[in-house]
Amino acid sequence: MQQQDKYRIALLSAFALGLHGFENLLPSPIPWLRLGLANIVTLITLLLYGMRAAVMVTLIRVMLASLIAGSFLGPAFILSLGGGIASTLIMGFVLHIAPRLFSTMGLSIIGALFHNLVQLFLAYFLFIQRIEAILLITPVIILFGTLTGTVNGAVSALLMKNLIKYDQKVQNVNEIR
Amino acid sequence: MSLRELFHNTTLADRILFSLLIVLSLSGIAFIKEILSDNSTVHIYVDGHPAYILPLDKNRVVSVEGPQGKTVVEIKDHQVRIIESPCHNKLCIQTGWVRSGAVVCLPNRVVVTLGDPDKHKKTIDATTG
Amino acid sequence: MKSRQYVVDSKQVNTKRAVPASYLQSTVYCLLLLLSTLYCLLYACSCSPNKERIFKKDRILMDTLVAITVVSDSKDNAEKAIDAAFSEIEYLEKLSNHYSSDSEITRINRNAGISEVKVSYDILKLLDKALHVSENTEGAFDVTMGPVIALYDFHKKIRPDDGMIKKTLSLVNYREIIINRDRSTVLLKRKGMLIDLGGIAKGYAADKAAETLKKQGVRSGLVAVAGDIKAFGLKPDGKPWKIGIRNPESGDKEDDIMATIELKDMAISTSGDYERFFISGGKRYHHLLDPKTGLSAQECRSVSIITKEGAFTDAFATGIFILGPEQGVKVLDKLGFEGMIIDSQGKSHLTQGIRKKIEFKRTVS
Repeated sequence: MQQQDKYRIALLSAFALGLHGFENLLPSPIPWLRLGLANIVTLITLLLYGMRAAVMVTLIRVMLASLIAGSFLGPAFILSLGGGIASTLIMGFVLHIAPRLFSTMGLSIIGALFHNLVQLFLAYFLFIQRIEAILLITPVIILFGTLTGTVNGAVSALLMKNLIKYDQKVQNVNEIR
Repeated sequence: MSLRELFHNTTLADRILFSLLIVLSLSGIAFIKEILSDNSTVHIYVDGHPAYILPLDKNRVVSVEGPQGKTVVEIKDHQVRIIESPCHNKLCIQTGWVRSGAVVCLPNRVVVTLGDPDKHKKTIDATTG
Repeated sequence: MKSRQYVVDSKQVNTKRAVPASYLQSTVYCLLLLLSTLYCLLYACSCSPNKERIFKKDRILMDTLVAITVVSDSKDNAEKAIDAAFSEIEYLEKLSNHYSSDSEITRINRNAGISEVKVSYDILKLLDKALHVSENTEGAFDVTMGPVIALYDFHKKIRPDDGMIKKTLSLVNYREIIINRDRSTVLLKRKGMLIDLGGIAKGYAADKAAETLKKQGVRSGLVAVAGDIKAFGLKPDGKPWKIGIRNPESGDKEDDIMATIELKDMAISTSGDYERFFISGGKRYHHLLDPKTGLSAQECRSVSIITKEGAFTDAFATGIFILGPEQGVKVLDKLGFEGMIIDSQGKSHLTQGIRKKIEFKRTVS
């Protein structure tokens, strides 16, 4: 089991990294408004394998992505890390205390929201001390975050449905019940 | 696989959260556009202390109390002027309409400054002449 | 419905799984610890430098709007420095304001033809510089024009008649200011003479204010005493301070800029016929009076001078305005100042050096 979990986590991290890389290829007028496709993997990991696994996948993805991009320990790295960890933790927390309250899509929206909020917060404290600039872009970022969170959530929900059909381990899940 | 299925999978909490966030962010954007579009604000200071901060795009008449009496400032058509002032020389009134920079009533210690609408002005740090 | 059910399943599965929690746990903790240490180290050596920002404050002093701008990484330091600079200007105003009844200049004026008056360092320096400018402009700049200036009332639009002017002109002679540096005294030789420092005090104040800012530790700032400006240092983006020169033809529009120039540790002043004036009988009477005639100088519309000292830019701008374009350019070349003269026809005369630095915003002939 342990070995299989290690493989799974590595595989999921690879997926996340791949999605991240793919996403970077897509052109966007505004550099910081990203689709966050890798969060789909994070969410699914959270749902399937729990908090620790999800955190690991996030960490591995962020670190490898920044190492590959050459921005390790740079501002982008700090922001990604902060946002990623925060969103994973919050999603796991919500899942823990109120598992029935939000569906996959709701969780994704929450994750996106906190990802953005923490990034804005970090950006303010570490890089841009001007609160007016931060406050100025916050509504736009939240809007985009909600929309991308919804889309990612939809994709995650669809993936979950199909995974239930095909993945053996997940099928075991149903059998245990 | 269809959108309707997806929608049915969402809970009430999901929908509330989604709607709330959309509404908040849209209103935030509208608010910011309000502030940005009148890229000038009029600041009125009396004796160095701010008395009024007003947008330039709303026509109005305000008056402030200085040591010598009441100075009346008018904002109209994106311009500002002093209409009335108790000063002796009435230079402030003579200045007429200004679109940027400042109009000042020295004896009554009233300073009316405008933000700069011109991107030219934005790069200039001071004016001589 | 399926997805919600599934979420509950996942929770159950997790608690039953035989993954050694310690393995994952310790790895995660190690990574987090490592990252937080790195993070702290980074914060300690502040990889994001203390942001330097521009702070600006203005105040009414010396009968005009004085705006002081500084570059600083702390609002408190900036405010402290700016307030100190304002205090310095306030102090100079008290000494030099000839309208005030207890300034040092008024004491000198009251004792004209009677006795010398002991004065402070700044007044001595001001008068020293004023005399230097007088000598270099052949008397076109003359601080003893006080009595003649007093004959005009720009608010009530009153001009003196020629007889009055002639009588008063006899009281104008900068050579009759006797300065004794050893005793720190100033004497005005004849009764009725009046010193008016209006043409030099603002420039000097800008210099002193800038010095005060530097003493407070500011390494980049801009002091604008109305149109007499002193700049030092560079802005946070590495560029010098950019100054706009008003268009003399602008009429009522205060914001009409005809040219901009960047100042690197220099001062600039502009004298114009549009600053204080009235029109009577078809003629323009402005405040730049020619000591030879007692009337407004006619040959120029605006003169802008650039050099290291604000006191000189202020005084020479006035002096050269009165001298006129041809002589003015000669004086500028002789002294090595940069400048621009717009004559009464609207034609611009520039020194060689300023041609490369000035940027015109509209076509000026």
